[in-house]
Amino acid sequence: MAEVRFNKIRKEYGSTVIVDDIDIVFPDGSLTVLVGPSGCGKSTSLRMLAGLEEISGGEITIDGRVVNGLEPKDRDVAMVFQNYALYPHLTVLENIAFPLRATKTGKQDALRRAQEVADSLGLGALTSRKPKDLSGGQQQRVAIGRAIIREPAVFLFDEPLSNLDAKLRVETRFELMQIQRRLGITAVYVTHDQEEAMTMSDRMVVMKDGRVAQSGQPEEIYARPNSVFVATFVGSPKMNIIAGAIAGGEFRSSMGSRVALGAHVGQESVILGVRPDDLLLTPNPAGLARVALVELLGPRAIVHLDAGGDRLTSVVDADRLSDLSTGIAVDLAVRPGAAHFFDPDTEDRIELS
Amino acid sequence: MIRRLSPWSVARALLLGVAALTVTLPLLWVALASFKSPAQLNDPGLVIFNPNLANWARVLEAGILESAGRSAMVAAVTVAISVVAGSMGAYAISAYKAGGSATRFGILAAQVLPPAVLVFPFLTMAYALRLDTTYVPVIFAHLSFVLPVITWFLIGFFDAVPRSLEEQARVDGFSRFAAFRLVVLPQVLPGIGAAAIFGFTLSWNDMFYGLILAPTQETILPVAIAAFNTFRGVELGAMSAAIIIAVVPVVIASFFIQRRLVQGISGGAVKF
Repeated sequence: MAEVRFNKIRKEYGSTVIVDDIDIVFPDGSLTVLVGPSGCGKSTSLRMLAGLEEISGGEITIDGRVVNGLEPKDRDVAMVFQNYALYPHLTVLENIAFPLRATKTGKQDALRRAQEVADSLGLGALTSRKPKDLSGGQQQRVAIGRAIIREPAVFLFDEPLSNLDAKLRVETRFELMQIQRRLGITAVYVTHDQEEAMTMSDRMVVMKDGRVAQSGQPEEIYARPNSVFVATFVGSPKMNIIAGAIAGGEFRSSMGSRVALGAHVGQESVILGVRPDDLLLTPNPAGLARVALVELLGPRAIVHLDAGGDRLTSVVDADRLSDLSTGIAVDLAVRPGAAHFFDPDTEDRIELS
Repeated sequence: MIRRLSPWSVARALLLGVAALTVTLPLLWVALASFKSPAQLNDPGLVIFNPNLANWARVLEAGILESAGRSAMVAAVTVAISVVAGSMGAYAISAYKAGGSATRFGILAAQVLPPAVLVFPFLTMAYALRLDTTYVPVIFAHLSFVLPVITWFLIGFFDAVPRSLEEQARVDGFSRFAAFRLVVLPQVLPGIGAAAIFGFTLSWNDMFYGLILAPTQETILPVAIAAFNTFRGVELGAMSAAIIIAVVPVVIASFFIQRRLVQGISGGAVKF
């Protein structure tokens, strides 16, 4: 159990800045997800916390102790790598027991505890197999077992689910969350998948170009993204972003489309952001937007729209599709109170009443 | 069903056949010669004859097995040192790019020097350190080519080991060296076995350093073989028997490591 802090953490390779003076607090017992596109510095940050990369500047503390100069073995962390990094020459049981070899645990005791961990992860029948004889999902569990056996101060996960197929990923995601909650160990989880970040995290840190773009609870970030980048990165399908002006309760895109907003003050130049769920469609032969393509996802459907050059998406209930076949003209409106506005120059969030 | 032979496969079989004959015919001839009497040796084409063991008795009496034992000892010590130092060096070069990209091949640069360049410095040092009656100078001389070759040989094997294995072990609570020893090294054991046998044959076959640096009365095997070239002429029969003693272990060893040998020499490009 420990709180982890990044104080002005920096990483440079030569003159290239990978991580640019970031401050993050990982509360004790929480699961914090670092999420961002590739190259944003999230994995480097995790590796600095693990001790596998040198820190160019700033301080990392675990439970109040500065760990900058410590070897990974002295940091009391456990890590699950993307490729699981199971030891090919050891059996499942030996793999799980391996971290105990570094402590003063007796061999019999270590194997007994490894067996308990294996049983708790549903690996009890596979303990004498070698990693190469396991499926991807089973290998993943062995890696998790090896991480939890020592009950470290901090868990580190580096894209642990990205090598699994979609169905298994969702199941394992749920299991991982349960294990973390049950043990109450502070966890730092890196992923490029915003959906994984949204569903798993207590706290979410969105990174871009080596900096923290926004951090907070996932629902808070989803509801109030502080920049165009965060707005489009978080949420699926992506938020619609349109540049234009507001006049007479209507948003007028510079590309020619119109979106009804309800009462809003006029604004010369602004970026409008609308989540696809909040973009309402009304069939109207005189409408300026046209349905270009419909993707049915079961009870819901994604409607792709061609709105005078702006390509927009809307998510609607499937039973409305009879009105919305391809080629139909529609009027656009934003669900009241659901519009997001951004400054066209800085792309930062602005509040308009 | 008759397999159709393409011109390529015929050409390939011919080439391989010629190569195999070039290598095996002299060996066969030497094997036959070791069973011939001096009179029979005058007829090189003689294949069917009454074999006798006089040459074998002669070489055993001349102490060929003792020489072989000394050669084996020199080779074993050379290989033991080379495998320990070479595996660590090879991992440093493979995983940490130690010495930059030039080291990977530059490590073999010393091989282009003729042995004569090194042998006199070694001899001078051996005298200065009063080691000239021991095998230490031969072992050091052999290290000068066995260690780089073994290191170079192992780099490709270490390239195939994911870096995350070492990192995982370090996070799991081990020092860098313990991670190397407990996790990385076991992944390349087949390569180390092949490298050891390869290095052993290099040392076993060397005559030049042994001739100059080994103690005069206690010859190593290649020197003992050459000693049958006496001032009364070449003792062809005895020399043949000694050559067979020297060659058989190498042939057997190469048979066991042939696949790893190709892999090591091709820098790990062959998947296993």
